[in-house]
Amino acid sequence: MRLQGVGKRYGDGAWILSDVDLDLRAGDVVAVAGANGAGKSTLLRVLVGLSRPTVGDVTGRPTAVGYVPDRFPPHDRMSARAYLTHMGRIRGLRGRQARRRADELLDRLALAGGADTALRRLSRGNSQKVALAQALLVQPELLVLDEPWSGLDAEAHGTLGEIITELGRDGSRVVFTDHREAVTAAHAHRTYRIDAGRLTEAVTAAPARVELRPTGDDPVALADLPGVTGTQERDGTVTMLVDAEHCDAVLRAALDGGWSVMAVRRSAGVLR
Amino acid sequence: MTALVRYTLANVVLSQRYLPAVLVFLVVLVVFTGADSGPLLPVYAVSAAAVFACGTWLTVVTINAEDPTQRAVTVVNAGGSGRVLVASVWVAFAWCVFLGVIGLFYPLLTGHHRAVPAEFALGAVAELTSACTGIAVGLLCSRIVVRRTGVAVLAALAGIFAFLLVPGLPPVRSEFLLLAGGRPASAVLAPAVGFAAVAVVLLMGMSVLTRYVARRKD
Repeated sequence: MRLQGVGKRYGDGAWILSDVDLDLRAGDVVAVAGANGAGKSTLLRVLVGLSRPTVGDVTGRPTAVGYVPDRFPPHDRMSARAYLTHMGRIRGLRGRQARRRADELLDRLALAGGADTALRRLSRGNSQKVALAQALLVQPELLVLDEPWSGLDAEAHGTLGEIITELGRDGSRVVFTDHREAVTAAHAHRTYRIDAGRLTEAVTAAPARVELRPTGDDPVALADLPGVTGTQERDGTVTMLVDAEHCDAVLRAALDGGWSVMAVRRSAGVLR
Repeated sequence: MTALVRYTLANVVLSQRYLPAVLVFLVVLVVFTGADSGPLLPVYAVSAAAVFACGTWLTVVTINAEDPTQRAVTVVNAGGSGRVLVASVWVAFAWCVFLGVIGLFYPLLTGHHRAVPAEFALGAVAELTSACTGIAVGLLCSRIVVRRTGVAVLAALAGIFAFLLVPGLPPVRSEFLLLAGGRPASAVLAPAVGFAAVAVVLLMGMSVLTRYVARRKD
């Protein structure tokens, strides 16, 4: 699926998206980070086909699309199970199939209060679970989630992460937004940043693990350089965690300051 | 489409927002047509006018029963906003058929009329005309076209009064004038069917227009 030169505005208003290019291959898990009002939600609406771009093309959108909105309005007297069964039928499942699938998903997401609770009685986190379940009734080839982690409890956080990983492995395309770098780095293969409607691929946010050995007697101290988040010394080897964006500068300072670089690796963010 | 219609109907029924419109319809019917012993056709003109106004109201209620975000989810699941709109039109039409059937039989059951088949048929054609026109007006006053409730209410009232009162504006006013004109039913059936056809075309045109305007706003 591909977005080419996509721009969006309403009437004569300001451009909410401009010149957005995005390629989504099967199995891609993509995060979009950006401030409120930067155009994240509009981009997602274009992706799922709710909004048509003013300029540019969207090609190759798969048929099975799942959409999880930012805020799922719970003022509905219908029960969670009934709602999901209706959505399953609309997706083409038989009634019984849809009900079974709804129960499976609500079980997995651990909906508090039970499947027969009216949607409007659910808390924000629980209605978010229903919103997630409706998008998964049929295995989506494209799953788009708007701030899916906000409002979910800790246990559901893990489940959502698992679900996203599984979908990516099974060849679905997953796009989600979040404003926290730690979340996007942990779950996405690629992270994009959106600012004033422009989409740019972000440098990998995972910190680097740098191993150094002193070459002389008096190497310069590196621990206070910007971007260094941790140091550890063992058997003469110093291991440091360095933020990706500062890594080059720290390495240059180390080489100039009497250190030899033994290894640079992507790290999970902890020193052992 | 069946699943979508079922969901839309379930949503309106559970929201209970149909109740005021249906109650107003029943009150109008009882007050103006109950225990009447005059000619049947003017009675049918009144019940068709009530179907027209309440059909507009029920169309708005049907579409607005879903919050915009919830509707977005339904649109993605259904695979397009056009399908969701068509389902809403079918549900609104089902409401109008429900009101129309009551409007056709209630006067016969409570009043003293000698029903001629042609009069009954003319009444049914008038209800159909009202239903289609009412839904057409309701579509343009629903939240997918007019976001503000106050503006939507004013627009709906303006639409209803325009179709009822502006001389020469087909199809409902012309239809009611045929019914109230005192001519025999068999003589006016053909032009009445013509006005019903105009109403069906009007409904289709307004559905396309609604979809066009809604897409521009998305």
